[in-house]
Amino acid sequence: MKKKCKKIIIFLGVVCVLLVAVSSWYTIVFNEARLILPMELSEYVFRVRDLPMIISCILLALYLLYCFGLLVWTVIANRCAGEASQYTRTINPKLGFLGLLGFAGFLGFLTYHVNKSVYPFACFMFFGFFGFFFEGKMSNTYMDERYRENKMKADVTANKIAMTIIFLAIIILGSGNFMGNLEYTLIALVIAVAVSIALDIFLGEYLLYRYDHGEEPDESEG
Amino acid sequence: MPDFECRLKQYRQLKDLTQEQLAVQVGVRRETIMRLEKAQYNPSLKLAVDISRAVDAPIEDIFVFK
Repeated sequence: MKKKCKKIIIFLGVVCVLLVAVSSWYTIVFNEARLILPMELSEYVFRVRDLPMIISCILLALYLLYCFGLLVWTVIANRCAGEASQYTRTINPKLGFLGLLGFAGFLGFLTYHVNKSVYPFACFMFFGFFGFFFEGKMSNTYMDERYRENKMKADVTANKIAMTIIFLAIIILGSGNFMGNLEYTLIALVIAVAVSIALDIFLGEYLLYRYDHGEEPDESEG
Repeated sequence: MPDFECRLKQYRQLKDLTQEQLAVQVGVRRETIMRLEKAQYNPSLKLAVDISRAVDAPIEDIFVFK
């Protein structure tokens, strides 16, 4: 994407947010905060003064939709380019530090006690980002038949381990009575699935690196 | 992986090729040639044929299965 195009998209985003801010202010000051305060939508009657809020919200929604579409398009385009390339993608091994985000999963214990929210446990899957460390080390590697074979072997092994953990978790937790509590069962299942996904992502890269670099033969030309 | 003896190194040296040159000729990495020479990698039929053409020797002479 060109720099000019990026600037235009950012500018449009700022304009949309400003429009929502201004229309919110207008609605709060001149329109009894309609459409901002919770209201019964079935009893909603249109007023001309609602227009700024409605238009700004529609514009913001369209902008977000456009951004989402752009994101999907970019991911697909990058994937197609990657498949056509004979070399692995180039990434910085330091991106592996993103795996530390996995510790955010422990926030789930806090949020569960505060408001019974369990979704932060899913953050455990970010541990899988530690795999970027090994993917970074394999950056810009020519994908010959041995690489592809190792990649397939690593992916199959990682998937097998992850699926085994998920399978065992479902068998064990399937009774829904973990520690005599259905909510604890849900938490344990979310943690098991998140950790399995993390393991799958990490092991796929780690095993590929091990298969490719393990048992280094004598590098001399001989 | 079946046990086999790889005589690629001697045929490569006969043709006066480095591992890197052979790797480029057959479209693989140098590491793959290194593993082949140590009989640590079982190549595909296509790679075996490409190698045999590159070093000008029959496949069965380069890869000897026990």
